[in-house]
Amino acid sequence: MTRPQKQGNSQPRWLFPFVVTVIFCLSVLPLGRLAATGIMSAFRGGASELLSDPGLWCSVYDTLSTSFFGMIAAVVLGGGFALLLTLFDIRGKALLGFLFMLPTMIPPQVTALAWIGMTGPSSALLKALGLAPPLGSPQPLYSIGGIALLYGVQNAALVYLSLRAGLLALPRDAVEAARLSGASSFQVLKDVILPLSLPGFAAGAAIAFVSCVGNFGIPAILGIPAGIYTLPTLIYSKFAAFGPRTFADISVLSGLIAILSVIGLMVEARVLRGRDYRVIGLSGQVAVFRLGAWRWLAELLLWLTIFLILAMPLIALVASSLAPAYGVRLSPATVTIKAYEEILLRQAATRIAFTNSLSLSLATAFGLLVVTVLTGYFLVRSKSRLVGLISALAEIPYALPGIVLAVAFILLFAAPIPVIGISIYGTIWIILIAYFSSFFAVSLKPVVSAFRQLDPSLEEAARLSGAGFARRLVDILVPLVAPAAGASVILVFLIACNELTVSALLWSAGTQTLGVLIYNLDDSGSFNIAAALSVLVVIMVIAMMVVLELMAKRLPKGVVPWRS
Amino acid sequence: MKNLLSAFTALVAIGMIVGAAEAADLVLYTSQPNEDAQATVDGFKAANPGLDVQWVRDGTPQIMAKLNAEIQAGNPAADVLLIADTVTLERMKQAGQLMAYKSPEAANYDKALYDADGFYYSTKLITTGIIYNTQAAMKPTSWADLAKPEAKGLVTMPSPLASGAALIHAQTLSGIPSLGWDYYKNLKANGAIAAGGNGAILKSVASGEKAYGFVVDYLPIREKAKGAPVEFVFPKEGVSAVTEPAAILASTKHADNAKKFIDYVLSQKGQEGFLKLGYIPARNGMAVPAGFPARETIKVLPINAPDALKNSEKDVKGFADIFGIKG
Repeated sequence: MTRPQKQGNSQPRWLFPFVVTVIFCLSVLPLGRLAATGIMSAFRGGASELLSDPGLWCSVYDTLSTSFFGMIAAVVLGGGFALLLTLFDIRGKALLGFLFMLPTMIPPQVTALAWIGMTGPSSALLKALGLAPPLGSPQPLYSIGGIALLYGVQNAALVYLSLRAGLLALPRDAVEAARLSGASSFQVLKDVILPLSLPGFAAGAAIAFVSCVGNFGIPAILGIPAGIYTLPTLIYSKFAAFGPRTFADISVLSGLIAILSVIGLMVEARVLRGRDYRVIGLSGQVAVFRLGAWRWLAELLLWLTIFLILAMPLIALVASSLAPAYGVRLSPATVTIKAYEEILLRQAATRIAFTNSLSLSLATAFGLLVVTVLTGYFLVRSKSRLVGLISALAEIPYALPGIVLAVAFILLFAAPIPVIGISIYGTIWIILIAYFSSFFAVSLKPVVSAFRQLDPSLEEAARLSGAGFARRLVDILVPLVAPAAGASVILVFLIACNELTVSALLWSAGTQTLGVLIYNLDDSGSFNIAAALSVLVVIMVIAMMVVLELMAKRLPKGVVPWRS
Repeated sequence: MKNLLSAFTALVAIGMIVGAAEAADLVLYTSQPNEDAQATVDGFKAANPGLDVQWVRDGTPQIMAKLNAEIQAGNPAADVLLIADTVTLERMKQAGQLMAYKSPEAANYDKALYDADGFYYSTKLITTGIIYNTQAAMKPTSWADLAKPEAKGLVTMPSPLASGAALIHAQTLSGIPSLGWDYYKNLKANGAIAAGGNGAILKSVASGEKAYGFVVDYLPIREKAKGAPVEFVFPKEGVSAVTEPAAILASTKHADNAKKFIDYVLSQKGQEGFLKLGYIPARNGMAVPAGFPARETIKVLPINAPDALKNSEKDVKGFADIFGIKG
């Protein structure tokens, strides 16, 4: 940016300050405020009382153990799928891969509700089949193991994607050389492919771990009834018992979560150091091994897994939504659609939640797009030394658990904004800003990868012909990145629509989101209405994923997360 | 540019929708379950056409937390409260957070059921008794039954951290000489757990995860009518009760509508609405819902309100210590 504009740097003067302001507002300011409150509370001695509470360390232990076992489950599930689908001649790969991605896109509290409907004495499904366990048998999911299992199901796709990216990036020549030297398939797998894919495994495991640490929906529904509190649910319950020390306490607690997440991310960064997935010559063409007689067994195993982790819980969810009351045996005589009538026709809360979630998600998706097109252009074209720092700062809010961001924005906006004196706490705007911050990286990624693929010569030609930045933006840049922008909008929309953690702390009168509403309905004992609403949300998620899938061919690589 | 333009149009349109959503004529914070809250609001709107009412539902402690955080942020959204217990409202009255309003409907109520200065009014009687799954081996008839070996590991109860009624209940039972806090310690030793709100208890017992529980009356009585395998018992020692009072916040921006709301919930029509939902109305001369025994046969255990108010923080902590609850 030090060079004057005339000499080759084609960016307008305002672009750099604009990008810096955006990053400052969405990342530096809230996180700085959180850190300041945490540190201040520590200095005033407030933290020592909190930190000497054995309950807190019990939560830290529960967070670590659930996340660790969740990570193991995710690695087993996701790793198994990635290896089988990428390296072997399995039929129906595209469909299997798509179905395997679904649990990740379904909101965690819906996953939790669906699984509760599948197991234990409460299962409407098991009751209908006459298989329900006897009275007084515990719900097996209300445990460390249950939470970890669902973490695994929810995050398996993260390991799958990371490992698959690694496998597709394997140098084909190494495999071919080994083959030509007479190595068997098994030897190639053992000595060439698996060692080379270890970083992918490790990175996937680290991302899964971080995602488990920040999960709220699953431990909220499975942990709280069993007295198991992870750090995010502990923050939620501290906030729900609001007292004079609440702000200080929750800032210290979110600091703890942030530290755990950062450790996880540092592990990831370390294992990925020196690897650059962008410059790959012969990717996507890993030698496919023949399973021969084992093929049908592997396929059976894959479909059985999909059935267990996706189909069964969803069938159970539908069964719960059709039961007239809790504990009633579902049969043709007792099936009722009363829950759907209540949720669709009678509850004003549904309309409010749908309006809020849809408008928040649309506003976030389109609003962020405007910002990320400009930021993405800056990041790709600028020669400023700050580019690395800026893209790192843009990533941080997304990498941090939602509850940490929510706390940061509560602290930032709890008091009226200075100078203008307006308070946005308790309004929809605080959720919108938190969403902007949280999903900035999601929106940015497809746009940046589209800009990377653009040939600068087009723009240079336009510039030589005298076109200004606005003209070039409108006539060249925007049309060329439009498909990626479309995908970016759908992705952000999809994720924001299903969000619970950020809004769970920030919602107020009239600003309920779908995630909050499902949680609240379940909490008040209206389980079948919660199930009915969950079914509707799942249908919406699947519809949007199908749209993305249909768009996939026209998009740059890596934009649709489950395609590679 | 077309894309950008349409994006901006979308943004502006959304801004307008969102803006409109915030301009309600009355905001109600309540601890009633969603369906009941909606029915109450629908009834009020029918009686006062043209008013746009928004409501927020959560457990009483959570609703109070939200409200306190909003009050501290200088922007409380609620105009009226309809929450579990008078103890909480008494504290708010003393903190100067409530507005006094003398409703003409109060004449039809027992003097014990409303604040003489008009700060809050009881709307119904909600008792806490025992719920059991119809497949359970023992049919409990008293609180003491749940501490017996037959109920080992099969008892669940709401946590005072999540339910206003549960706090009052614990304070009531702990004040009964034959029970006291020792009763809770015995329950804990017998494997009882305490977590979540009343909805969670209903779910747990109806589904058979647990066989017995403490719960507010209307949930099991209503669910039984829908076919759920549960029974509700008024134990022989008596039941605790909350009265789900309504109050107007001092910071209300819609005082007139808030007064109309108070009048409505106390009116014959409003009380009939509660009756239809399965609650015992507080107003004189009303019937009890189907499934309830006659009102005079329900033995309500006494509670010392000023002591309860003074001790609530200590009692919550005591309860949490016995049951190892965090928060």
